[in-house]
Amino acid sequence: MKLSHTALVHAPRARVWKLVTDVPAAARCVPGVAAVTPSGAGKFKGSLLVQLGPVRLVLDGDVALTATDEAAGKASVRADAKDSRLGGTVRATMDLALVDKGEDTELRITSDVQIAGRIGEFGQPVIQRKADQLITQFAECLARTLA
Amino acid sequence: MTYDYHEPDSLAEALELLARHGEDAHVIAGATAFTLLWRQGLLRPAHVIGLRRIAALGGITRTGDRLVLGATTTHREIERSADVARYCPALARTFASVATVRVRNQATVGGNLAHADPAQDPPPMFMALGAEVVIASAQGERTMPVDELFVDVFTTSLRPGEIVTAVRLPALAAGTRATYVKFLPRTADDYATVSVAASLRLADDGTMADVRVALGACGPTPVRARSVEDALKGTRPDARRIADAAARVNADIEPFDDVRGSSDYKRDMARVWTERALTALVESR
Repeated sequence: MKLSHTALVHAPRARVWKLVTDVPAAARCVPGVAAVTPSGAGKFKGSLLVQLGPVRLVLDGDVALTATDEAAGKASVRADAKDSRLGGTVRATMDLALVDKGEDTELRITSDVQIAGRIGEFGQPVIQRKADQLITQFAECLARTLA
Repeated sequence: MTYDYHEPDSLAEALELLARHGEDAHVIAGATAFTLLWRQGLLRPAHVIGLRRIAALGGITRTGDRLVLGATTTHREIERSADVARYCPALARTFASVATVRVRNQATVGGNLAHADPAQDPPPMFMALGAEVVIASAQGERTMPVDELFVDVFTTSLRPGEIVTAVRLPALAAGTRATYVKFLPRTADDYATVSVAASLRLADDGTMADVRVALGACGPTPVRARSVEDALKGTRPDARRIADAAARVNADIEPFDDVRGSSDYKRDMARVWTERALTALVESR
C-alpha cells in the first residue's frame, strides 16, 4: 500500500532536518509511541500503540534510518514491527523529503506499507485514514517542538 | 484464546465490572459485532461483560409522544413493536431493513450505536429523528444527541467505563414524515453503498418548516447533511429545489473507496439517493 502525505512545519529546514533524523526525538512526536531505545548500528527498538475503536494494536519492532542526504534534504526510514497478541506484521519504508519554503519547511512523506496477518482485515481505507491521522499529528508535534 | 465471561444482573454490577477490568474488558449485548471481530482475531479481551440479563436495559417504553428504546432491545423487537410503528413507521422499517432476521433477532440497539460502524442503518435514522443516547457510568448518567456519539470509524465519544443504556426519541411535531432509503447493488442483506435518512415537516403554507437529512456509509461516521438541510429550510420544495439541495450533499460527506464503490461513485449515489428520499417525503402528502 503506497501512501503519500505532505505537511507544513513552521521552522527552517535545517532545524526540521535535525529533529526528523534524530530517531528517538522524532519518535516522541508519533502519537502512541512508547520508549524508543538504541539497539546498535543506527537501529532502534520501539513500540507503537494504535487504537481503532475497540481494537488495540501494539506494534513492537525495529526502526532504522537507512539513508540520509542532508544536502538534498532526503532521508529514508525502515520500520519492521509485529503485533504478537493479535498476530500480524507491518513493514514500512518511508522516504522523507524536506523542502525549503522560506520560514516554513514542507515535509513530504512517501510510504510503502506492507501489512500481513489480521491487521490487514481492516482494509485500506481505514488504514489509510489512521496513517493520515498519525502523520498529521506527527507534523503538528514537530512544529510545536521546534516553536 | 479464552476470556472470562461475566453476566451481571444489574447495571451497577456491570459498571463495577467495567471499572474494575478497564481496557481488558469488552461489553457485549447481542454480540453480533463482537463475534466477527473476535473470529477475525482483532479483539482479545481478558473479560467479556454480557448485558442481556439486565432487565432494566431492555424494552420499549412509550411515554406520551416520546419513545425510549432500552439498549438491549433487539432490532427485531423494534421492527415488530406496535409502539415504534405508531411513533414513526419509518423507524420500524429501518430496523426491519437491517441485515437478516437472524442478525436482527440477536443484534441490539445499544450495541449498534456503541459499535459505530459507519455503514449501519439505525444511526442515520436516529439522527434524522433527533434522538438522544443515554449513557451510564459509575459517576452517574448523561445524555447526548446521537450526532455527537460518533467520532471515527468504530470509534465513539463514550469514555472508559461508560455503557449505552438507552436511546430516547423526542415527540415528533404533528405532520412530521420520515424515510430511510439505502442503495444495495449487491445483496439485500449487505451493508449499503450509501444510505439516506430524512425527516421533514411542511408548514401550512407549504414551506419546509423542519428538515433533517443524515447519511450512512459516506465517511468515517454517519453524518448530518446540514448543507442540504440549510438549502431547503423555509423554502417551498419543488423538484428543482430538491435536486439543487441534494447536490450539496457533497460538502457534508467524505466517502472511502471500497468494495461497494469508489469514493466518486458514492458521492454521486449520495446525491441521487438524497434526492430520492426527499422527493418521496414531499410527494407523500
